[in-house]
Amino acid sequence: MIRTFRNAFTRRAVLLGGVVVAMGVAGLTQVNAQDTTRLVIGTTADVVNFNPLVGNSRSDVWVTNLMYPRLMQMTAAGSKDPYVATDWGYSEDGKSAWLEIRNDLTWSDDTPFTADDIVFTITAIVTEKIGVTAGLVPAFVSAKAVSPTRVEFELSRPDSAFLSNIGFWMPIVPKHAFPEIGSVASFANDSNWVSAGPFQLTTVEVGQRYVLEASDNYPLVEAGRATIDEVEFRVFPDVNAQALALRAGDLDVIANALPAPIARTLQGQPGITVEKAPSLGWSHVLYNMKREQLANVLVRRALAHSVDYAAIRAIAMQGLAETTNSSVISPVLSYWADPTITEYTFDPAKAKELLTEAGYVDANGDGFFDDLDLSLLYEQSAADVANWAQIMKDSAAQSGIKISLVGLERNTYLARGREKDFDIYAGNWAVMEEPAAYLGLAYRTDGFINYASISDPQLEAYIDEAQAATTPEAVKVPVQAAAKLIHDQVYDNVLYYQTFQFAFNSDRWEGLVMQPSDLLSLVNPLSLASVKPKD
Amino acid sequence: MTNNTPEAVQPSAAAGQLAPADLTPARRTWRAFRANGLGMGSAIVILIMIAIAIAAPLLAQFPSGYGIDILMPPSPQHPFGTDDLGRDVLAQVIWGTRISMIIGFAASVLAIIIGVALGVLAAYARRLDGAISMLVDVCLALPVLPLMILVAALVGPSVTTLVLVIALFSWPEVTRIVRSQALSVTRLPYVDAARTIGGSHIWIMTRHLLPAVAPIIVVSVVLTASRAVLSEAGLSFLGLGDPESWSWGKILFNAQRSGALTVAWWCTLFPSLAILLLVVSSTLVSIAYNDARNPKTREN
Amino acid sequence: MHLTGYLLQRLLRGVVTFWFAVTVTFFLVRLLPGDPVLAVAGPGMTEEIRLQQLQLFGLDRPLAVQYFSYLRELVQGNLGISFLRSKPVTTVLMERMPWTLLLTSTALVLTVLLGIPLGVLAATRARGWTDKIVQVSGVIGQSLFVPSIGILLLYTLGLMAGIFPIGGAVKSGLTGVQYYLSVAHHLVLPCLTLVMAQLASYVLTLRSTLIEALGEEYCDLARAKGTPERKVIWKHALRNALLPTTTLIGLQIGFLVGGAVLTETIYAYPGVGRAIFEAVGQLDFPVLQGAFVLLAATVVVANLVTDLAYGLLDPRVRAG
Repeated sequence: MIRTFRNAFTRRAVLLGGVVVAMGVAGLTQVNAQDTTRLVIGTTADVVNFNPLVGNSRSDVWVTNLMYPRLMQMTAAGSKDPYVATDWGYSEDGKSAWLEIRNDLTWSDDTPFTADDIVFTITAIVTEKIGVTAGLVPAFVSAKAVSPTRVEFELSRPDSAFLSNIGFWMPIVPKHAFPEIGSVASFANDSNWVSAGPFQLTTVEVGQRYVLEASDNYPLVEAGRATIDEVEFRVFPDVNAQALALRAGDLDVIANALPAPIARTLQGQPGITVEKAPSLGWSHVLYNMKREQLANVLVRRALAHSVDYAAIRAIAMQGLAETTNSSVISPVLSYWADPTITEYTFDPAKAKELLTEAGYVDANGDGFFDDLDLSLLYEQSAADVANWAQIMKDSAAQSGIKISLVGLERNTYLARGREKDFDIYAGNWAVMEEPAAYLGLAYRTDGFINYASISDPQLEAYIDEAQAATTPEAVKVPVQAAAKLIHDQVYDNVLYYQTFQFAFNSDRWEGLVMQPSDLLSLVNPLSLASVKPKD
Repeated sequence: MTNNTPEAVQPSAAAGQLAPADLTPARRTWRAFRANGLGMGSAIVILIMIAIAIAAPLLAQFPSGYGIDILMPPSPQHPFGTDDLGRDVLAQVIWGTRISMIIGFAASVLAIIIGVALGVLAAYARRLDGAISMLVDVCLALPVLPLMILVAALVGPSVTTLVLVIALFSWPEVTRIVRSQALSVTRLPYVDAARTIGGSHIWIMTRHLLPAVAPIIVVSVVLTASRAVLSEAGLSFLGLGDPESWSWGKILFNAQRSGALTVAWWCTLFPSLAILLLVVSSTLVSIAYNDARNPKTREN
Repeated sequence: MHLTGYLLQRLLRGVVTFWFAVTVTFFLVRLLPGDPVLAVAGPGMTEEIRLQQLQLFGLDRPLAVQYFSYLRELVQGNLGISFLRSKPVTTVLMERMPWTLLLTSTALVLTVLLGIPLGVLAATRARGWTDKIVQVSGVIGQSLFVPSIGILLLYTLGLMAGIFPIGGAVKSGLTGVQYYLSVAHHLVLPCLTLVMAQLASYVLTLRSTLIEALGEEYCDLARAKGTPERKVIWKHALRNALLPTTTLIGLQIGFLVGGAVLTETIYAYPGVGRAIFEAVGQLDFPVLQGAFVLLAATVVVANLVTDLAYGLLDPRVRAG
């Protein structure tokens, strides 16, 4: 009985094994019949919204950037070069602005790309208050296309950052393929795309891939079109598996910035190149001014002296971070940065002194000041921040400050930030390149991203002055004064600006162009239009 | 996170055919259990892990702070290596044993209390039986893990949230098993006798039904706890763990998030092994216990 | 009870289950903290925009009104509009549902096909070495932490050996036979992971019920009549022992369909479980709710099928 049974069982096992092996062999012997060139890019998340004015996740930006052009090109130091826009300027009183664009761009349905599209885009954004861009152009009143290649803007007050803000932050959408103003924000734009970038979306397989084909007309590169035929974005929710796919040759480029351990391993792999790019933003903690303890500048200073900045950069960031000298103007913005500002020292003794001065005592002798139990809110899935939050908690303990960690899912975290339901808020800004503009967003009383409820008339005055000035020299003075005030009052505590690492398969590809920040990185339109296979 | 046990899958239809558990003297079960090498070995493993959980503060310092030796492979100084903040992985696994087992145990006890109460009630009070059985069937059909993710994400992660969430979605399984076992007891003459002599409902339920289902509860505690440990690991791995404490799932989540999953095998291997060891031992113990209790499978 | 009556009762139960799942998730999603409007308008919006958005999605109405209008729309097959994607939820989810169904049903079929012979093997060698090996390896399989084993398989079979693709569900741009081969090729590792996690339940259940059945009188009777042992096992005992396995399938489907989140994450498989996890992070309530509705519907339908199988297998139900 035993033997017959075993035979029955063995037969089945062999059969099943056979099926599995057959599947494997079938996969191995697949013939790759493609003669088109395709670059496969890894990303960690799906495209959420194909409307470039609405979508704000990284994948959204990477894909829509290839289809909807921006007017200007970002340089490594955060300034803007001509791109679609060839020239621009302000009137003498600063209350109007103008912009000239190239005349050889067309949309993919052969409609010419004109000044009308720009007028349509900015009017829609302001009327419907769409996204961050709406908050960046408070001075905008109206726009007019005076010729197919020239737009003129009327401003309510002089705004030195207006043109560079729309130049970088506003992708231009086709007026003739978008709905009427009033329903632009709710337009899904999920099929029949009309685009004017180097590539055009053709296939969407949610959860898997987004395939784009090269457009025939892209005059912004020398060849007049992209060198490769197709770009495929593939979704890998897990970065570890994503890195394996790059090593196995299933991926050519990884779009997202790599965690340090992965970057280090990939560096040692033959055929893979890891490249660095500076961030145009920075990572920081905000202290909620609505909290009684934190409204006291002594407590904020004590907190600033309780952060082991060097350890955060060396350990949590594994050396891939530079100090901004505790200034809200990073040294990357070389024109604006103030070399006289120095970083807060990590000095627990001084912190204790400041807290004692502020009236705090440790009556129960537990090593922590009484009535000073602060929570630190951060996004759980952001590895870097989660790591330095831990370091911040441990170094604050040395000053007798108890910090408890609150790591949340991205949207719950953002919700808490918006409702100002936190003591200390850890986060980072991706691109902070135009001080006069972002100071207003972040530190005005009614600022769009003023999560800490900062309200300082002096600071407000500096920002007003900077935004009203029309020459860079005149902007620089109040901008630096504002940064100094923020530093002295510890309204914001900037820990570092990051160096991003990106990887690609250099055995197969060459000609990728790195641009600053992880929004542009290796997958910016210029880079993907220029990349070509190695022979 | 799998729901399976020899006990868990006996259909209610077949339950009546089984020999009632309370007819088997506990001593004979124990003797049979002791003879089962796998079961005994597993029981010892569980006891050792409980000891580690209790003695965690004596065995290792709470893994906090940061060091310059980041992602170092195992060495005499750090037998399990270090993680991406230079913290000792051995200490993390030891303290993780504590939190993982606390969460597993607490969630299991909570689920058992709800499950047993409803199960006994359903078996005893025939009028409620239909409703409770329906509720159980319906709950069992819910996609449990996504629901856990939903609640944990929206409420905000903490050890308490994890315990409540896991318990909240684990009790129907217990109710189902307890009910079928208790049902076979309510049909026995002595329960009817107790009823006729006018015993109060509570008295009958606690004095007659509960002892009859007790052996099943023992098995359920172990199995529900081990499943809870897996659920906890899964939720932590998805970033829904308690940021202030260490569990095995959280060690793995840290490794995943920092990209060390394949780079630093020691960050992945040791917590994974700990999970494996605990869940395997729990399952084997309950299998051995069931075999020992069942005269048909008992080794003599 | 006749088969029809039995099935009617099961159908009713299925409807109730479905309604219950919809209701529970509807209220869970809306009563827990988390501001859905944030997902649409971004963190810096003004109160005015916030109210406008609430109105747009009908979130300003009383909960009861929202609930009944949701049910009404649901009956007509309308799951609402995604907050973030500005398109119908059904469109969003229907792209993912086939992959979940493919992955879970393949895993289920393979598990049962492997589980039955292994269970028989363990039961007929009860307490022997084979039994112990089958039991222990089954138990180890189900105790493995999915992400750990997933990354291990990807590393060894995907990267080192290069036999299987790393992540995804199918290669792009294929047609005909090649397409299906590619789908099967991508399916192997995630499917293997799910089978490992599930197998032990079936093996152990079958083992214990089969041991039980083999000791029953009708088996002894068959043996006394000179029926070969092989026939006793496969024909007489197994038929009865399969009943609990059928029940188990019904129980496991809910777990399997929803529980694939971790597998889908590691293998970058585009299923519904992953969509749920993402929708939670994005607070995209309509998608979240819609995904639960679809999963519940899948489970209910699958359960009806197993109930039907049970009814056909079990003489007590058949005869009434």
